[in-house]
Amino acid sequence: MAGDPSAERALYDAHVGRVFRLAYRMAGDLDRAQDYVQETFIRAFQRLGEFRFESALSTWLCSIAISITLNGLRKTRRSKEREVTLDEAPPIGAVTRDAEPDLKERLARAIDDLPEGYRTVFVMHEVEGYTHDEIADALGVQPGTSKAQLFRARARLREALADFARE
Amino acid sequence: MPEQDDDRLDELLRSMAQDYHLPPEPPREAMWEAIQAQRRWYRRPWAGRRRPLVWAAAAAAVLVAGIGIGRMSVRTEGSQVAGRWEPRSVSTAAYRLTTIDHLSQAEAFLTMFRASARRGGDERLASAAARDLLASNRLLLDSPAADDRRMRLLLEDLELVLAEIAQLSPEPHEKDLKLIEDGIERGSVLPRIRNAVPAGTSPTQGAL
Repeated sequence: MAGDPSAERALYDAHVGRVFRLAYRMAGDLDRAQDYVQETFIRAFQRLGEFRFESALSTWLCSIAISITLNGLRKTRRSKEREVTLDEAPPIGAVTRDAEPDLKERLARAIDDLPEGYRTVFVMHEVEGYTHDEIADALGVQPGTSKAQLFRARARLREALADFARE
Repeated sequence: MPEQDDDRLDELLRSMAQDYHLPPEPPREAMWEAIQAQRRWYRRPWAGRRRPLVWAAAAAAVLVAGIGIGRMSVRTEGSQVAGRWEPRSVSTAAYRLTTIDHLSQAEAFLTMFRASARRGGDERLASAAARDLLASNRLLLDSPAADDRRMRLLLEDLELVLAEIAQLSPEPHEKDLKLIEDGIERGSVLPRIRNAVPAGTSPTQGAL
């Protein structure tokens, strides 16, 4: 398949939807998601000859996609952190709850604020429906680690939305 | 009881999380084209490497390509496809093909640069590559390739964009990248390049 343009196009057509969904869910931005997807397939086509069928092709692509996406998001975060000037930064201890957003918005922010590992597992499992085995393969961890991170992610989210739940 | 509450809340979270960064329909064709453009760029033998004597190398490349293509054109003169830029002689045809090759490289480079800039990638190599392209661009501007008014205007606009990228600092500010992006957009540089390069006519396309 490596180097065969029609096979590459077939592979792209078969998997681009799933890869794009994952990249977009993680990035929340169309331009960045597109960049990550493009980079994923470029790298996959370069390495197709190395694919040994020890895992599903979709899992292999997913592992490339998640690695590129997380690296890209880290770079973007670092670059944004450098740009925040003192004037723009919110004062320490400032209360930023001008208007109470609705529950979905609160949940989205709470997911955004999860540590990277928790957020990745939460999005892959709860939102995109990957199994713990698939997540473990893609992230290079044990399935137990994936389960533990999901458990902690849920606990954090419950905590973040606790006041809503009480209302 | 608290466990049941947790289960209910988890169920609620799962259901509401389906709207988290809800993806639009993937722009399949646009992404595929960008992938192909970037791969063409990566396949360039000099991609990602800094080389000394850029001007001399670019001049030599244009000269060699011109001679080679000129010879090729002698054999195939009768079979020239009617293009937007009609060659008046063998040397004009050679310059035309050299220009098309240059524009193909510039298109791949700008596509990759924009993607990389949005990702917050390392722009140092882009700056070196832009200097290579800038050298070829200036040679073409001084050649009969620029006799055609539309082509000259395109090469001039491309020169501005390439010069800006070539002058980028190793850690460019987002503002600088935005200015370059605006320059590409404002001058419609990429659409004009695509318009000037008929599909499948790049001399190096698929050859590398």
